[in-house]
Amino acid sequence: MAIVSPGKRFGKRLAHSKVFGHGSGSHKSTNADLNVTPLVDMFVILVLFLIANFSATGELLSMNKDIQLPEAAHTEELTLAPVIQVSQQEVIVSGAVIGRVEDLAREDYLNIPALEEKLREMKKQFEDLHNQAGDTGAFKGDVNIQADKQVQFRIIKKVMFSCASAGYGNISFATMSASPDKKPETAMR
Amino acid sequence: MAGGMDLGVSSKGGKKSLDAALNLVPFIDLMAVTIVFLIMSAVWTQLGRLQVSQSGQSPSEQEPPPTQLQPITLLITEKDLKLTVGGSQLDALPITRDVKGRIDVEKLMLKLKELKTQQPDQAAITLSTEDSVKYEDLVRLIDTVVTDNTNTPLFPSVSVSPASAT
Repeated sequence: MAIVSPGKRFGKRLAHSKVFGHGSGSHKSTNADLNVTPLVDMFVILVLFLIANFSATGELLSMNKDIQLPEAAHTEELTLAPVIQVSQQEVIVSGAVIGRVEDLAREDYLNIPALEEKLREMKKQFEDLHNQAGDTGAFKGDVNIQADKQVQFRIIKKVMFSCASAGYGNISFATMSASPDKKPETAMR
Repeated sequence: MAGGMDLGVSSKGGKKSLDAALNLVPFIDLMAVTIVFLIMSAVWTQLGRLQVSQSGQSPSEQEPPPTQLQPITLLITEKDLKLTVGGSQLDALPITRDVKGRIDVEKLMLKLKELKTQQPDQAAITLSTEDSVKYEDLVRLIDTVVTDNTNTPLFPSVSVSPASAT
């Protein structure tokens, strides 16, 4: 079957009509070029913007809707380390709930025994794995604390003490990077 | 078409179009794939970390501070901030907050700069914090004592301790 141009097709009777058919009218090309230059321009700008924002380290912290991080301007780059999440409700280490903040605040202990135990276990796993690979002394004791900004220091100190007791001495507070204060005049005096 | 190239006149005299269209379809395909990959791997939140240590133990890579320097302690309570240098306590700075509810650190910054000029070699400070102080305020004060607003290091070695322990 012959290939026909897209568009309205009238019957044979009107095929040669000047009004409805393609009789004596000039033949237009059926190929229409789409102007793709603006599309390419847009793509190039998008790619450049995304490459500028690209982070090779990936996401080191899993963001939790219950944890709103405080802002800090003079921060270092986040490193890969075990993360202790402290929300206003509970303390979580690698997905496992360690305890409820409400209960921990009531206790008089200086540490959180369950957290300490979990961290010791993680340290042992890390050391066993590295000893098998013949890499001794790789443990630096890095740990990241990802705490909600409304949490009181009474909980943070227990988490820090537990980390230090379990051998994780290099404690870092995870924060959102913010720009330094430029307008001190906005402060209330 | 835009992007056309002058091909000159054909030797046989046949009139060819002077514009040669560049086939942009593979380029657009490549761009589309790159954009999808970059959007999927993009990290939209900029995170950082503030290194702290517990009072009484310094991080493994740090050396103990020289003894001739006077230790600086900042006592953080809910109402005010008290700086102590080598056992002598300075005037308490009452806590005021800005419109966003953050601690106003301007006066503290001036005091810290003063202390830094008195002891340029001192890099350590202890933040003695009360239990009721919020984590947000503690982080803001750590951020303040580490570096001043001109990005000059003040006291980068920060220790945190409970207020009752001092």
